[in-house]
Parts: sequence; structure tokens; C-alpha cells
Amino acid sequence: MTVCLVSLLPVMGYGQQTPDHSEHSGHQMSVDPAGVVMNENHDTLPRDCREISRDYSLIVHAGRKYAADVPGMIFGMDTYEIRVQPCARVEITFVNEDHVRHQWMVHGLPNYLYPAGMFHIEASGGNRVTGTFIVPGDDRTYLVHCDMAQHMEKGMRGQLVAGSGSGNLWAVAGISNAFYRNFYLPGYSSLLVTLVLIGAFLSAFWLVRRP
Amino acid sequence: MTKRKSFVAALVLALLCFPPQWYPLPLRLQLTTWFGAADYRDLPASLPPGIDNAEEYCPPDPQGWRDPQTIEGVEIDASAACVADNPFAVATFVRGTNNVDSATLLKSGLTADAVEKGRDLDGDGDPDEIHIRLEVAELNGGSAVVSGPVTQYQIAPGIKPGMWVFAPKFVGMAVENFATNQARRSLRLPSPAIRVEQGDRVRITLENTHYMPHTLHLHGADHGFVDSSGEGNDGVPLTSETAVMPGDARSYELNPRQAGTMFYHCHVQPHVHVMMGLQGLFIIEENRPDNWLQTMNLGAGLVRVPSRRSQENFDREYDLHYLDLDKELSERIQRDNDPRLITRSMHREYDITDSQPDYFTLNGRSFPYTFRESLVVGEENERIKLRVVNGGGKGIALHTHGHKFTVTDRDGVRLPENSRTPQDVLWLATTQRADLALELVNDGLHAYGPGIWLFHDHQYKGITNDGIGPGGNIGAIVYSQYMSGTGWPETRGVSWDQYFTAAYYRKEIPVWEHYAPGLFSDTGTDWWMLLRILGLALALGILVAIPIGTVFRRR
Repeated sequence: MTVCLVSLLPVMGYGQQTPDHSEHSGHQMSVDPAGVVMNENHDTLPRDCREISRDYSLIVHAGRKYAADVPGMIFGMDTYEIRVQPCARVEITFVNEDHVRHQWMVHGLPNYLYPAGMFHIEASGGNRVTGTFIVPGDDRTYLVHCDMAQHMEKGMRGQLVAGSGSGNLWAVAGISNAFYRNFYLPGYSSLLVTLVLIGAFLSAFWLVRRP
Repeated sequence: MTKRKSFVAALVLALLCFPPQWYPLPLRLQLTTWFGAADYRDLPASLPPGIDNAEEYCPPDPQGWRDPQTIEGVEIDASAACVADNPFAVATFVRGTNNVDSATLLKSGLTADAVEKGRDLDGDGDPDEIHIRLEVAELNGGSAVVSGPVTQYQIAPGIKPGMWVFAPKFVGMAVENFATNQARRSLRLPSPAIRVEQGDRVRITLENTHYMPHTLHLHGADHGFVDSSGEGNDGVPLTSETAVMPGDARSYELNPRQAGTMFYHCHVQPHVHVMMGLQGLFIIEENRPDNWLQTMNLGAGLVRVPSRRSQENFDREYDLHYLDLDKELSERIQRDNDPRLITRSMHREYDITDSQPDYFTLNGRSFPYTFRESLVVGEENERIKLRVVNGGGKGIALHTHGHKFTVTDRDGVRLPENSRTPQDVLWLATTQRADLALELVNDGLHAYGPGIWLFHDHQYKGITNDGIGPGGNIGAIVYSQYMSGTGWPETRGVSWDQYFTAAYYRKEIPVWEHYAPGLFSDTGTDWWMLLRILGLALALGILVAIPIGTVFRRR
């Protein structure tokens, strides 16, 4: 439904500034009706890599159905963690199974190679988009997420681990806990806590006063 | 010391420390007759003002978005106020995302299918098949990882209530950049004002990018209960259809026979969803030849490409969208991240029957930010059209200084000429619309001459930000000779520094500090009186402890 009237905009390679999104100036974008790839890099090696260590070709599916079995999440991916070797060339095919836009973005890449340190795939509803980038040579964990408002918060948050990584990121579904996690206590908890507090006080008081 | 001596000493201390302000009046009068007034003691000095560095009143416009310009053959009027919409987006809304060249589309920031315009069905030179796509975005929402709100949008200095908006489809991130977490400039309150033409075949696809179910209800606009394929088309999950679930999309159709200023909003749990910001102006313009409409007006305000009918009758047109926000509701999306908890909190624990609005916005901002973008700027003898909607939960008493306006249309229906009279207060109930004709004719009735004339809700809470004034929905009618070249009204030397600080709206700065420094400032502390009262507290404690201790003495 969402793509039936899409005009056929030719695939373009742009480095122009988008005035509406001024901080994205200098990004290399390729845009077509299926989506966008920003800052794609097939060939330029990061400074700390002498050669491509390995080529990966990975498929990531996204959509609400992938969050169905993750309590408290609305949007999801079939893969929340991707492990690659340092200096690997990674081709991601991002398959959006929802009827709205989704994104697969990596943050923290070197700014000299990826403007604002980002590699970004956006797929419109029901579409698949492929993009390629090269990870640097250090062991590091990179944030992967969808930057639609609240999509990261409601499930689309993952990590790309290069080499042995630099520790898990917070709040990655199935991998790490939320930094600000709710308590999920029953409604009568405060009464229970009060009773235990009073009981403890009285018991201790009685014990201390015993001759 | 024995208990008795201690008791007496404490009693004397208590009497000595007891502040004279608390003596019984007869005793004070008697003491006065005996000893006269007490000696003068300095009142505490005024505290120095604690004004933060003020924000820039009027951000610069390096890309020249305010300037009049022609893009894709679309003549875009100048925007006199200092913050203007992206003119490439304006031109793309006029031509359609499928009819502009790829460079313009890229500069507009829109997706290729955001607003598509098709055939000219009546052969009058403008497109009549319009396909609009809307997403739903959360601003100032919560997160499981960072403590402050995410995708931030300030309605006034330091004020970031949680809200939901319908948004056009923009390519890329929701934020300007990952580090600042500021919402991208076009992602904002209010939901965009939408303009279509009478007789257009309009299709609006709601792509639900939000984590809750939503619908689209076309309030006041001529639409069928079911669409051409027999699907529910009213957007009411009680009667016509189920809601659009997160990640899903649904299209609504209309072919409006009547022109007028209408409204659109989500109809899922409307007492919550509409009040969170899922509402916008929906304007049906009269059919005219070669009537290329600016399908969306981001953030409402000045219509930079007005319709043919507007050009025939008015010199300028502005959309004014009023909305109040209850922080008791809006903060709930910031408190929790789990959508199950948010849903319970917003729809079962929040009780709108106990609610009071705290923030009052005009075109998505509260004073002083209203002056950056929602000024009604005009020249003497001009005739200006204002399309006004009150989307808030409380009524507004819209008052114009220096002018009497005329209501030409109410709820999208033209009023007979003989029923129109100039007025300076207009009552607008919730969701009511009024089209106003504002004539800048200095005849002592319609206008009193050039100046900077406020217009605002005359229900006083509406001119505050959570009780601090000036704030809320204050805007101004500004004659062009009172506008500086950068887009800021020349307010005759009055400093607004304190209004452009978050501290002022945190209630930390005395209200008149800027023009009467020291006179009405916060006061210092009377440390001597504090010492005296602490002495009294000490003495009272001893006075109470001695008899109780005696009674419950351990044997």
C-alpha cells in the first residue's frame, strides 16, 4: 500500500547539504524509492587497516513481528548483535517487513572516513536496501539502531562487535539490561515494605531491651 | 545541673528567643507603651540577580530561508519573522514530491512519496489527485539509556513537554545529530496544517511509526464513512475500523465538496492522543484555476504560497494553531520506557477530569519563542486572513491589541455579511475554528495605527508558562516598519534577556529584575533571626523532653 504510488526517482550519489538537516552536511547519500544508503564505503581502508580482513554479507530483518516475543518492545530486528573481524568489509542487506520506514545505522565509526561517524541504511516500508562499509582495525563495540523517533527506545537497538569488542552496550534486547530499568513490583509493595520495616524495628527494639 | 535548673534555663532561653512578631498583640501593645518601638535593624539586602546567559533572541538565517525566492517555478513569499520554513520543502509541497527534480527533493529533506500530486481532473491547470503520507513522531520522549528526554523539542527556554505529532515523511534521522539529541528542525509541534482543494481526490496514508495504535479522523471535512473499497474511513476505532497498529499503514480518502477551515486528529483514546498533539489544521481551499496549493504548512504560521482565493481577497494569510498541554500527562512518556507501562500510565492512571493545563502554545511554541516564528507581520492598509483553531482542552478568549477583526467563517462555514461585526475578543471552544479578516486600516475601529500589538488568550493562565508570565500563547501583530531586518520586532529598548533563559521559567528570577534591578529582587537571609528561632527550637525540645523523660524513666 505504501509504495504503490512511489515515483521512480533515479538512484543518485550526492554529497550535497540537505538544508533541512544541516548537521548531515557532507554525507554521501544514495537515494531511491526503496530507501537510502548514507556514507557507503566499499574500498577505502581505515587508517589502521592494511587490507580487508574478511568480507561479510549479512541480512538483517526488521519489523514489529520481530519484537513479538520480546516483552516491553514494539519494533524489533532478527539480529541484535553482529560480530565481525576488525578491518572487515560488511555488506548489510536490511529487510524492512513493516509498512513504515526503518533504519539500520552504525555510530562511532571514524569521522575521517564516515561523516559524523555514521553509516546509515534506510528502507521504506516493505523494501530491502543493501549497503557496504569497512570497520576499523580496533576491537570495539559500535551502536546499531534505528533513528526514527523512539524506535531505538522501543526495540531497534543492537551492537556491532569488531574483534573482541569493548564490552556490551546497555539495553540491547536479549543481550544487556536497560540502564534505567523499571522495578515491575506489585501494587501492594509499599504496604509490604512498610510492614517489614515496622516488624524489623519492633523485633530489634524488643531484642535490645531484653535484660 | 539538676532537671529543675535545666528546665528553668530552657524556659528562659525560650522566652528570650521567642520572636516578637509572634507575641500576642495585647502584650506587644503593652510593651510598646512601656518601652516604645524596638531599635532599627537593617532588613536583609537584595540578592544580586542570577540571570543566566540569555539565548539569542533571533537565530541567524545563513541559508536565506526567510528571503522571497522562486524554486521549481513556485514563487515563495518572504517570511518576515526570524525563523522560517525550508523553502525547498515549501516548493516541494506545492509541486509534489513526484514532480520536483532530485536536487530540490534532496534539499527539501522529504521522501519521494511524501506528497504526490497526480492528474488535473477538471482541466483547470492544477493537480487534483493528491496523496499525502503522514508519520507519527514522539518528541521529548523517554529512554532506557539516557536520563533526559530524547528527540528534544523546546516550546520555550528549558521547557520540553513530551508530545506526539503527525509529521510529513522526511528522509533520515529524527534528530539534527546524534550528539545533541535535538529533533530535526522540521519535526515539530504542531502537526502540519494540510491544504487541499475543493473537489480534489485526496488520499492520506497514515504510516504509524509510533509505538501505540493511532488513526486519522477528518473533523469537519467532507468524507465518507467508508472508502471506495468499503473499508472504514472515519478513523474512529469505536465504529468504523480498528486502529492502525505500530508499523502498519492505512489510507483514508476524501473528495471534499465544501471548502473551509477544518481539523484532523487521531481518534484513538482521543482525550489522551489529541491532547498529546496528534491534531492539525485541515484546510479545504475553494476551487480556482491554476490553484497550486502548499499542501503542508510546517508548524502552521505564514502561508508562503497562498491559494488563489486568498490572493484575490487578502494580502497575506497565517494559520494559527492553539494547543494547551498538561504536564501531568506529557511527562508520563518520559517516566517509563516500557510501552506497556506507558499505556497504563497514560490511559488508566492519568485522569483528565482532574487535569489542569500548564503550557499554552501558539503554532507549537510558547512565549518568547512565539516571537521567533508566529508574528503576524503586515503593512498599513493590508488585509490579512487568519485561520485559527483552538486544539486545546480549555476555551480561549483570543484578544487583539490595537485591532478589531471580523469573523468571516466559523467551523469552515461562511457567515452571512450582515452578521459580521468587528470584535476584539473571540471565544473559541475546543476544536472550534474561525477565519478572521484583520484589516490594518487606521480608522480607529479596525486598527489604531502602526506598532507592535500583542494578540493572546485573555484567559490569564494562557499567557503563562506553567504559571510564569509572560509566557503561553502571546503573539503579536507587527507593522513592517517595526521589524528589524533580521526578523525581530523593535521593542523600544525593552530587554527580554530574562525571558530567554530557562531559569526564568524555572521560577528562579524575580519578574522585574531587568528594569528595576535590586528594587523587587529576592531578599537575603536574616541570619540573626534564624539563630534566634533555632535557639527557641532547642529550648522547646528540652522543655518537652524533661517531663516526658521523667515519666518514662527506666528503673
